[in-house]
Amino acid sequence: MKEDKVYQERRARINELRAKNERMTCRERAMMAVRHEEPDRVPIDNWMVPEIRKRTMDYFGCETYDELLDFLGVDFRNNYGPSYVGQTFRKYPDGTVEDLWGVKRKTVVYGKGTSHEGTFSEVAESPLEKMKTVEEIEKYDHWASADWWDYSKLKAECAAYHPQYCVINVGDRLDRTAQLKPIMYLRGIQQTFIDLAMNPKIIEAIRDHIISYFVEYNHRVFKAAEGEIDIFMMGDDMGGQNGPLLSLEAWRRFFKKGFKTYIDIAHQYGIPVMYHTCGDVYKLIPDFIECGLDILQSLQPRATNMDIKRLKQEFGKDLAFQGGMDIQQVLPLGKPEDVRAMVKYAMDSAKKGGGYIICTAHNIQVDTPIENVVALFEAYHEFGKY
Amino acid sequence: MDILKEIEEALVRRSIDEVKALTQKALDQKIPPEEILNKGLIKGLDIIGKLYESQEIFVPELMMAGMAMKEALSLLKPYLERSDVPPVGKMVIGTVAGDVHDVGKNIVSMVFTGSGFQVTDLGLDVPAERFVDAVEKERPDVLALSCLYTPTRLAMKDVIHLLKERNLRDKVKIIIGGAPIDQNFADLIGADGYAPDPPSGVKKVMGWLGK
Repeated sequence: MKEDKVYQERRARINELRAKNERMTCRERAMMAVRHEEPDRVPIDNWMVPEIRKRTMDYFGCETYDELLDFLGVDFRNNYGPSYVGQTFRKYPDGTVEDLWGVKRKTVVYGKGTSHEGTFSEVAESPLEKMKTVEEIEKYDHWASADWWDYSKLKAECAAYHPQYCVINVGDRLDRTAQLKPIMYLRGIQQTFIDLAMNPKIIEAIRDHIISYFVEYNHRVFKAAEGEIDIFMMGDDMGGQNGPLLSLEAWRRFFKKGFKTYIDIAHQYGIPVMYHTCGDVYKLIPDFIECGLDILQSLQPRATNMDIKRLKQEFGKDLAFQGGMDIQQVLPLGKPEDVRAMVKYAMDSAKKGGGYIICTAHNIQVDTPIENVVALFEAYHEFGKY
Repeated sequence: MDILKEIEEALVRRSIDEVKALTQKALDQKIPPEEILNKGLIKGLDIIGKLYESQEIFVPELMMAGMAMKEALSLLKPYLERSDVPPVGKMVIGTVAGDVHDVGKNIVSMVFTGSGFQVTDLGLDVPAERFVDAVEKERPDVLALSCLYTPTRLAMKDVIHLLKERNLRDKVKIIIGGAPIDQNFADLIGADGYAPDPPSGVKKVMGWLGK
């Protein structure tokens, strides 16, 4: 941590609020909130693209990302799961690299030469896209295997964060526990939507391979962790900006059983489950609750029907929430006072009785001015106190 | 039942085979192709739009309807070309620079084509120059820009800026769309409009063209 006066001054407000508000460890705070109890303040989670991490570290004079998280009062630490020890991912001359499922990926640069330049890893080619029959799908030779991972260090890695922090087993953005998302990677997004309407057997065939992988993988992860994972996170986007991507009937037919299976496994090990989805999934929430979901993540406020006040009123008794901060308009385009108002609204709406973890609805994107990032975290600490 | 009504209803049911067979039947009965398009297919698409908006159908169903439209149009096309019926309008569409997401853009393209537009699709990760070149060359009524990420939406501004620089801004209407886009952002960058989904995009553009 840099101790120059300028950095000390920039850190003063957050330091002062934290000293006043905090009375327990991050882990105690987070787990109380998950149990729908009121801790000392609302727990804070953090999602940032690497460029914003860097910019925020530079602003506050933090030399590592861990230092930044510590300073900002972020209560969660991510565990990315076991180490990959399977075959080396094949690289191709065009720069694409195969992933766990044999899906070719490439790195895409956006905002070239501007202040908002950044990169994303994207699917370049979906290996099952052109297949016409279930038989062809079954012959595919690159289904992922739980044997490709070394689980031996997992426990120690999680335990290193204890007792101070709350450990979320998050997996990786590109192969997090899911159903629809890997289908889309393998089959292509467009073809997946067509299959959902026309070729249900193909969806089911791919889905079953994916589920059986994650069932075995997660059993091994949870067993290896021996109680050191505090929250299990899965993520599968089912919502668009203006409604679910598919009907409730389709979700029930194709994905409900797998969704519940994933939750049941974590619960067998006593681990609460957080589920990430972007977009408007309002219509699916009663089914999520029925399946035993503990925490719904993202609450994208600009999506229709995802107003946090209403969600808390209707579902807050049975479901905890993580998210609610708008990265589409308020953070990139608003002013610091808009950011403050947004934080206050979410806190006023959702913190009562616990069951709320504040966070942005997705990664803070590179188009966000640093003063809004600062305003966000200052407001978290200002309005989060119980 | 009136065959045009049957076409409309088959489209609302998203039955590709039926839409195709009925369109052929209507052609065989010597019904003018523009009537099949306007009084059958487009009426059906209107209803699809309303169902999508009210969350009674979702993306898979919207894509099915789009595919049914495309099949029907491929039957109508030779007749429409022969009968010298001009397209409803001309559109150039693409996903802006830095963004490689084209699912939404492809659905928009499909629905506009289905509504009788002549659509030139420039694909994804399209630099501003290519959009502007296409506007100069194709002289479309409408330029449609798509994106998914909030950072890439700034590339839409670059396109509009370049159109102004090359004195083409007032030659074309601009409609923008994608998850991080709303009317506020459209106003901010000086686009003519925004649409939350493909069917309402068609409605908006039809309004601009006085159709």
